[in-house]
Amino acid sequence: MIGQIAIDVLLGIAVLVTVLSAVGIAVMRDPYQKLHFIAPPASIAAICVVAALFIGEKQKQAAGKAVLVAFLLYFMNAVITHATARAHYVREKGTWPPKEPLEVVRE
Amino acid sequence: MNAWLVAAAGMSLSFIPCAFVCLRGGPVDRLVGLEMTAVCNSLVLLLLAEAFERTLFYDVALTLSLLGFGGGLVFARFLERWL
Repeated sequence: MIGQIAIDVLLGIAVLVTVLSAVGIAVMRDPYQKLHFIAPPASIAAICVVAALFIGEKQKQAAGKAVLVAFLLYFMNAVITHATARAHYVREKGTWPPKEPLEVVRE
Repeated sequence: MNAWLVAAAGMSLSFIPCAFVCLRGGPVDRLVGLEMTAVCNSLVLLLLAEAFERTLFYDVALTLSLLGFGGGLVFARFLERWL
């Protein structure tokens, strides 16, 4: 009973985080801002889903594969976010690395 | 209908904003939407594997997470150099 409640709560958090992040991607204007919203599903939601699987799954081999998926999402997200941000920077400025140090823009 | 299936259906709602971004944004915006879709799709496949109690589906989620990463990198490189 407690296990089922824990699964429901974890899955609810995962769904909420994913849907809100997807809405955030649609709302934000700049690709740099949009890129930030890929991280919550790849980290928080993935960990919640894997934790729920570990509680509910009887076959630990299947849960191990889920851990591998979460590991891939978590660590490769940083790489792909950097690659996309760099691609956008090169398209805007024409060169990488920047010739002068980047400044934080405060609106 | 179990909790896993409900969660998979709820998480599938995140495809709608991603599709909106992919259809209306600029090239880099569309790439961000594609990357977000790959992440959400991997999680939905994990949930569906548990919902239908098919261990084979975990391999599909694993493959998609790997291919989504490679595809995103290739698209980013393509946008950076040629488009």
